[in-house]
Amino acid sequence: MARARRNFSITALPGFASIAVLTFVLLYVPIATLVVFSFNEAASMSRWQGFSLQWYQAAFENRQVRDVSIRALGLAVTASAIATFAATLAALATTRTAKFPGQTMIYALVNQPLMVPEVVTGTALLIFFAGIKVSTGYTGMGYLVAAHSAFCIPFAYLPIRARLQTMDLTLERAAADLYANHFQTFRYVTLPLLLPGVLAGFMLGFVISLDTVVITEFVKSAGQDTLATYMLGQIRRTVTPEMNAIATLFLLLSAVVVVLFFIVSRKRP
Amino acid sequence: MADRRDGPGSGDNEIEIKRLSKVFGQGDAAFRALDDVSLGIRRGEFFTLLGPSGCGKTTLLRLIAGFEQPSAGEVIINGRQVAGLGPNARPVNTVFQNYALFPHMTVADNIGFGLRMLGKPAAEIRETTERMLALVRMEAMAARKPSEISGGQQQRVALARALAPQPRVLLLDEPLSALDLKLRKEMQSELKRLQNETGITFVFVTHDQHEALTMSDRIAVMSGGRILQSGRPTEIYNHPAERFVADFIGDTNFLDVELVAVNGATAEVRLPGGGTRRATLPEGLAPDPGSHVTIVIRPEHASVTEEAADFEGTVEDAVFFGTDTHLNLRLSDAARFTLRRQNTGAGDGAMPEGSRVGVRVADGGIQVLRN
Ligand SMILES: Nc1ncnc2c1ncn2[C@@H]1O[C@H](COP(=O)(O)OP(=O)(O)OP(=O)(O)O)[C@@H](O)[C@H]1O
Ligand SMILES: [Mg+2]
Repeated sequence: MARARRNFSITALPGFASIAVLTFVLLYVPIATLVVFSFNEAASMSRWQGFSLQWYQAAFENRQVRDVSIRALGLAVTASAIATFAATLAALATTRTAKFPGQTMIYALVNQPLMVPEVVTGTALLIFFAGIKVSTGYTGMGYLVAAHSAFCIPFAYLPIRARLQTMDLTLERAAADLYANHFQTFRYVTLPLLLPGVLAGFMLGFVISLDTVVITEFVKSAGQDTLATYMLGQIRRTVTPEMNAIATLFLLLSAVVVVLFFIVSRKRP
Repeated sequence: MADRRDGPGSGDNEIEIKRLSKVFGQGDAAFRALDDVSLGIRRGEFFTLLGPSGCGKTTLLRLIAGFEQPSAGEVIINGRQVAGLGPNARPVNTVFQNYALFPHMTVADNIGFGLRMLGKPAAEIRETTERMLALVRMEAMAARKPSEISGGQQQRVALARALAPQPRVLLLDEPLSALDLKLRKEMQSELKRLQNETGITFVFVTHDQHEALTMSDRIAVMSGGRILQSGRPTEIYNHPAERFVADFIGDTNFLDVELVAVNGATAEVRLPGGGTRRATLPEGLAPDPGSHVTIVIRPEHASVTEEAADFEGTVEDAVFFGTDTHLNLRLSDAARFTLRRQNTGAGDGAMPEGSRVGVRVADGGIQVLRN
């Protein structure tokens, strides 16, 4: 009896296996279907006719798709770079200084986008930016860059902070002991050791920016669709396997970045 | 008296610590980690801070290195006040307890780091790094990362890294505590060798009394943020001034006795057997004759005797230790006394349980405690 208790395992619960299988089915079957039908020769979403790359070709030849993809990538790189820079400074300030009053508050503020519903943020940004647009007349990509940067900060912040927290403070002490000034300590010790965290933060921010529909939808001006909002718009009209092809490529890109993220953040300091 | 000898030439002291205190936290949570510590560490000596966990050894080292600023008092290194100077502005290097080698740099780059930060020319850095690698016998490992060498080797690299910029003082915070016994013995003599070869002042922290006794020129025994006694190892061992010091270093017998007479630095005390013997008084202590004091007798300073016994005891048991045997005695007044008999091969030094034996204390083997 006591022995059985000690060996208690969640896998032994009745129904565990079926729930697990069902979860995986729900998670992966729709995606698998989407991928499979991107290679379908026919335009049907339910009947398989034969293997073809024609939808990929169509996607590559579609000017609009190319435009929104380039815009989305440019936006993601810019916004994630800005967010990573800000997040690095925030992480250093919240882990490498003596505790100061309001530290928890700052932690909460940095993580605000994780707590506030996206629709609320989107609405707020829409109203806020509308005012600026009217008074300055500027309608460029700046608004999207600003909105995405702010939104990506907590996602970049988390891996950087995690890395800093596991990093031995005595390494920085040792550097100072060996005549390094603050800047040299950061340049030669902290930063090289932090780099995997910074890269991880950048990649996470990149994926999040690519993926964000709600905020983009609220903030974008005419002709500023990203890949995500473009897909949403298309699907409302007609559904062709070309969308499947685009979605599959999008999925591939995300998967590659996420896998890189895991490889980078698994490296121990 | 205010002692104002802050300029160069304050005697032979490399480091002077004056009335140093360190308080962590505030209000109710305030904790006094160092309490009015004064200390002089001489140029070129191997000085050891010895004390139990939490007594403030690391805190004292950190104040010397500049990682913390004192709450009160001053630190003077080579005649210069170092208040307000950061660790990078002090002629002091530290060997950290966990080594703190830079994991992303090779062994050679670790060793050269200090010189690089000092802006030395590349040729000098290379030359010094090679000399240091040879000094700690790590030439073959120069291109490895710290994760690719053993604990003992990491320890040696940490030493070389701290020695490379030729500091005036090397601070070592329990550098051997992570090593196994054999490696530890090896590194102890290695450290002594390095200290002799470089002539650098070593401030060494340990809570291991044997390490302290065998390696040090002088020892300061710490407890509860204070320095209880400092002196040469023989002084500390043979003439502990306080109960804590006697208890912390070596095995000890404490006896409460009557003080019969005082003659300067010595006193006559009445031992349990009724006779009087000469005892050493701690510096500056002159108790009144007739008062009761605690004395310390080391187990090896007493022997079994047939005649002229100072007192007698009944054997409770004998514990065989190989090189010697400990006889645990009950004295007439129910006090306990342990004496150590060297094993000579003629016998194991044991006595039958319950037998009465006479005990004779060696001349100079009795020390009066301050408290
Ligand atoms: N930053 C700090 N804040 C609060 N208390 C501290 C701090 N640093 C040290 N202390 C306290 O000061 C006391 C002395 O610490 P210290 O590290 O100097 O001890 P130690 O003699 O080096 O002990 P050990 O042998 O365990 O390393 C301890 O009780 C410790 O809890
Ligand atoms: Mg310590």
